[in-house]
Amino acid sequence: MLASTETQGAVRYRSQRIAYWFFAACMLLFSLQLVYGFILGFARMGMDGLHEWIPFHVARATHTNLLVVWLLTGFMGSAYYIIPEESERELWSPKLAIVQLITLLLVGVAAIVGYHLNWWEGRKFLEIPRELDWLVVVNVLAFLLNIFMTIWKGKRKTTTAMVLFFGLLMSALLYLPGMISFKNLTFDSFFRWWVVHLWVEGVWELIMGAILSFLLIKLTGVDREVIEKWLYVIVGFTFLSGILGTGHHYYFTGTPHYWLMVGGVFSALEPLAFLGMAMYALTMARRGGRKTTNRIALLWTLGCAVMSFVGAGFLGFAHTLPQVNLWTHGTLITAMHGHMAFWGAYAMIVLAMISYAMPELTGRAMYKSWMAEWAFWATNVGMIGMTGAFAVMGIAQVYMERKAGMDFLEVQESLQVHAFGLVLAASLLTLGVALFIKNFLDYGFPQEVPTGGPAGAKLDPRPADRRKDH
Amino acid sequence: MGLGNGAQRPFQLPQLPPLMLTKSAAKTFFLGGTALCGVAFVLLTMDTLAQLPSRSHQEAMTDQVVRGHHIWNKNNCMGCHTLLGEGGYYAPELTKVVERRGAPWIEAFLEDPEGFFPGRRKMVKYAIFDPSKVGAETAAANKADIIAFLDWVGKIDTNGFPAKPTMNQAGPQIPADAQRLEGAPPFFRSVCSGCHAVGGVGGNVGPALDGVSTRLDEVYLRRWIANPQALKPGTAMPKLAMDEATLDSIVTFLRTL
Repeated sequence: MLASTETQGAVRYRSQRIAYWFFAACMLLFSLQLVYGFILGFARMGMDGLHEWIPFHVARATHTNLLVVWLLTGFMGSAYYIIPEESERELWSPKLAIVQLITLLLVGVAAIVGYHLNWWEGRKFLEIPRELDWLVVVNVLAFLLNIFMTIWKGKRKTTTAMVLFFGLLMSALLYLPGMISFKNLTFDSFFRWWVVHLWVEGVWELIMGAILSFLLIKLTGVDREVIEKWLYVIVGFTFLSGILGTGHHYYFTGTPHYWLMVGGVFSALEPLAFLGMAMYALTMARRGGRKTTNRIALLWTLGCAVMSFVGAGFLGFAHTLPQVNLWTHGTLITAMHGHMAFWGAYAMIVLAMISYAMPELTGRAMYKSWMAEWAFWATNVGMIGMTGAFAVMGIAQVYMERKAGMDFLEVQESLQVHAFGLVLAASLLTLGVALFIKNFLDYGFPQEVPTGGPAGAKLDPRPADRRKDH
Repeated sequence: MGLGNGAQRPFQLPQLPPLMLTKSAAKTFFLGGTALCGVAFVLLTMDTLAQLPSRSHQEAMTDQVVRGHHIWNKNNCMGCHTLLGEGGYYAPELTKVVERRGAPWIEAFLEDPEGFFPGRRKMVKYAIFDPSKVGAETAAANKADIIAFLDWVGKIDTNGFPAKPTMNQAGPQIPADAQRLEGAPPFFRSVCSGCHAVGGVGGNVGPALDGVSTRLDEVYLRRWIANPQALKPGTAMPKLAMDEATLDSIVTFLRTL
């Protein structure tokens, strides 16, 4: 449908350019996340010279929270890019979007500085102090209002836009259970997973699926109806397995025994959703008649679908059954799964979106640079290496500490050599990220777009011979 | 005749209805599946919330336990440790720590974590447990709070987590003989046993002490316990604050082994 609007060209609506600033913030926060990752990696090697100033738990909270903030910033940027295009109108309030970005960053910086001063809640992944929680809520409400009004007043309401909005709305709602205070640790843990699990193995997959669907429509030229139909099937499988799959966090935290059965069965189905996602992306890319010139965006898109299956689906399944998890629960096996899952599913979808949007926003075809391609391979090979190092450490820890009953510290010290491998692989990943950021900077700032769109093909920045492709 | 007629018309496969899933069917699958699983999840949640108070022995959750929980959260202890298997994987799992180490060991450890494991992985030395910073009374109360909290956690019904090790450790196995500990002074039972085993009972951080009197003489034992670092720099054995009488009682006990 509407073939002319689906073709690649310069960005069609002026307000889409706001996405650039969200993506730039992503690059900044991602870099900082890597710095803290190295502090953690070196500490695991036994080199904890920063212990007096940045002890492990500070670096860890900063590392994981920066990840969450940059991914959310990336989702917001993606939404500000996608929603005007899908709704065929300018953003409801571009000013609100800018205010929202600045305040989000201020809250993020305040939280991170707070962690270094022992100001936090001390609940894994939800360390943000309660006072700042409220600011996050206000900020996200402003974002949702902007997106909602744009869709509401838009010319069309596409499935992709609705799934994206539903995912974002549910993320906001599911943040609230994490803000309830409980005196009893078991209640606290129970509802903490409502946020953490139902985000990353539930509604975030909706956001990911919607962005994936948008990218596939743009990059492969397959009919929107076909892509969106399968989007429903995949997010259907996600919720079918993911909601009750929350049970895999309820095996050993004081919750009733039946969660071992419920969590085991349903989380064993979770890889199916990711397998579906990977097959969907690969099939659409093969079926698509159009060959995009932005090969790098397609590479990140397909890479995301495949790596999320490996990291989230396959490696998640590796320790999700209760009889396995009894031994692996609370070991570095979780770090193995967590790193590749977040990378494959969420970091890569944001990087795919950035790779797609930057040529459109700036009118420059920097994706042809060798840097763009090397960034993809260096980051992915680096992450595979890191996952391998965590796997070796995790498996050794399970057998030595849990199965044989060796002393914790003794085991950890024997793992230091593998932590060195981890840091080496992380260095390769960092090199790749540096290339990605250099490429991002080379694109420069977004170009001028006449207000009210559609700007049309006149602004297509690519040489005439490239434009013939579509 | 009939055959001849048929030959003129090429054979055609019967037209099958399209097996393709329609978009609205896909949407129904998504909404229906989500609603169904959502309802099941809410029902299970309601049942779980009803069971959690008894499974976690909420009646034993004293003010002291709640204060300990507050200390735990306030200092982000799960940023390094795990509790019920949840946390940072950088420091030991603490679900059964009171059962494993005993309160006196934890009290001594919290006062000077690095002193217990010199030159090894570090833990922050928190002012709230340091008598010289907050006064002896407050430090003791804070320690009692966190220990009460950890003790309460250790009694939660966790469906068998953490599991007992199932693989035999290398080395000679000494049959458990709790009687050998009978003559041990209280300090030995509560602190030393955290790391050392006697008669197969106790920790495995340091060497088992069965037969130690045949290996080390009284003078050496006395000097060693009083200040391990002085005899063997870099040893994991901490210098523990104890009075002469306690030291005497420990050395006397070790001589019987």
